[in-house]
Amino acid sequence: MLDVSRVQKELADCNKDKAISGVSIDLHGGDGDLSHLAGTISGPVGTPYEGGTFRIDVRLPSGYPFEPPKMQFVTKVWHPNISSQNGAICLDILKDQWSPALTLKTALLSLQALLSAPEPDDPQDAVVAQQYLRDYPMFVATARYWTETFAKRASVGIEEKVQKLVEMGFPEALVRSTLDSVNGDENMALEKLCSG
Amino acid sequence: MHDSKANDSSVSANARDFAKKRRVNRSAKLKQCKLDARREQWLSQVKGNSCKVTPMASPPTSSSPPVSMPRPQSCLHDSDMVFPAHIPISNSSGNTPKVGCCLNNSVSRGGSTRSCSLSASDGEEEGGRGEDNVALDDWEAVADALSAYKVNDGCHPSHDTGGTFVESHVPPAPVNDPCVQSTMKPEATRTIPRAWRPDDVFRPQSLPNLYKHQSFPTNMERHFGAKVWSHPVILSAPSSCPICYEDLDPTDSSFLPCDCGFRLCLFCHKRILEADCRCPGCRKQYSPVEGEKMDMSGVAPLIPFQLSRSCSMSSRS
Repeated sequence: MLDVSRVQKELADCNKDKAISGVSIDLHGGDGDLSHLAGTISGPVGTPYEGGTFRIDVRLPSGYPFEPPKMQFVTKVWHPNISSQNGAICLDILKDQWSPALTLKTALLSLQALLSAPEPDDPQDAVVAQQYLRDYPMFVATARYWTETFAKRASVGIEEKVQKLVEMGFPEALVRSTLDSVNGDENMALEKLCSG
Repeated sequence: MHDSKANDSSVSANARDFAKKRRVNRSAKLKQCKLDARREQWLSQVKGNSCKVTPMASPPTSSSPPVSMPRPQSCLHDSDMVFPAHIPISNSSGNTPKVGCCLNNSVSRGGSTRSCSLSASDGEEEGGRGEDNVALDDWEAVADALSAYKVNDGCHPSHDTGGTFVESHVPPAPVNDPCVQSTMKPEATRTIPRAWRPDDVFRPQSLPNLYKHQSFPTNMERHFGAKVWSHPVILSAPSSCPICYEDLDPTDSSFLPCDCGFRLCLFCHKRILEADCRCPGCRKQYSPVEGEKMDMSGVAPLIPFQLSRSCSMSSRS
């Protein structure tokens, strides 16, 4: 008994100003399942995550909004409160501090805020947290590298890559699916297209 | 042939009518259900605090007199004054002008006293309860004074004439008026600086922090032991429930379950009471009165209440 009308309104509400807020949310699949959503947040300016676009898997339990949404990073991210292995998030508002007055948008904005304000004393990923505390410059460098590697390729200029590959003579649908499968890496996609 | 056709159409018309009626019935039932829930709520409150049944029974609205933080001292003063004020009534009816004046003060106090008791009963149960009962005492005094005033009103309709007389004989009374005037101004300016405008595009709907900020003056007043506060001007009441996004009907709009000012519809409120019972706006537990209504069968919630009542009895004697 998911509150469908609320979720639909939230989706519209969240995407109304996504260019300004830097967060957006859409259905995960094309089957119209409102309980499985895909969110994106842009890396906050002035952090090692700047310029990256992070994808988040959002699952709404049947008790939503009285129960918190389940969120997990799909894009790999180097952050003390986010698992570098599976993207699990340690954030109180997604657990005991959830309030039905919060929305998917405010939750995503909170994740964005978490990116700019790590809490190494309450870590999800102990390795990252230790590095953050002991060797901060190294942490910043690693986080930036991960952002460059995992959070940029997939989204930056995907249209241009598609166009390039289409001009080479591959069908657009195939290009898109191939790019998707290699996480947006143009060269790997080309290799795959040629070999396939 | 012709007949059967006519019959068909009339039957279908009937069916349509019937469906319509059912729809109407359903919405009426829905409304009735809400009204019932509301009434139940009031009844439970009234049952609990029978002495609270006074003309000011409606919850504080944004139109109640704005009174602000700088007042606490004088407020204490005023509420203390209520008792001496109604002694002269019983002594001699000749003092009615004085009564009339004091009464005006105490009545205006009354409206906010209740809102104070509401706020106090929310957070810490013990402390809140204690304060609540002080407020109750004041209420009884007000009620006494009110009835006495009504009795005497007929004989002395021109009670304003004793204005100067009052000021010279009841010291605390004159303190009150300049105080109100001086504190009205800061209140007006206090509401201006605000992080989000209610119509701001970026304002997340019902951001909890905002309500925390609003409840701050309340805590201050509680801390000072003030008897008077009016609800901070609530940012334009939402037209739809921030939880289910359905429109709020008039019953919902007048429903103020938490002193942080967070409004929601009765359905969502009920749902929350069944679960963790925390206000979505400030994450505090809903006040014990509200909780008590839900678990009438449970003994535990009743005990602190009765204890605090007996406490108030002893303090009054």
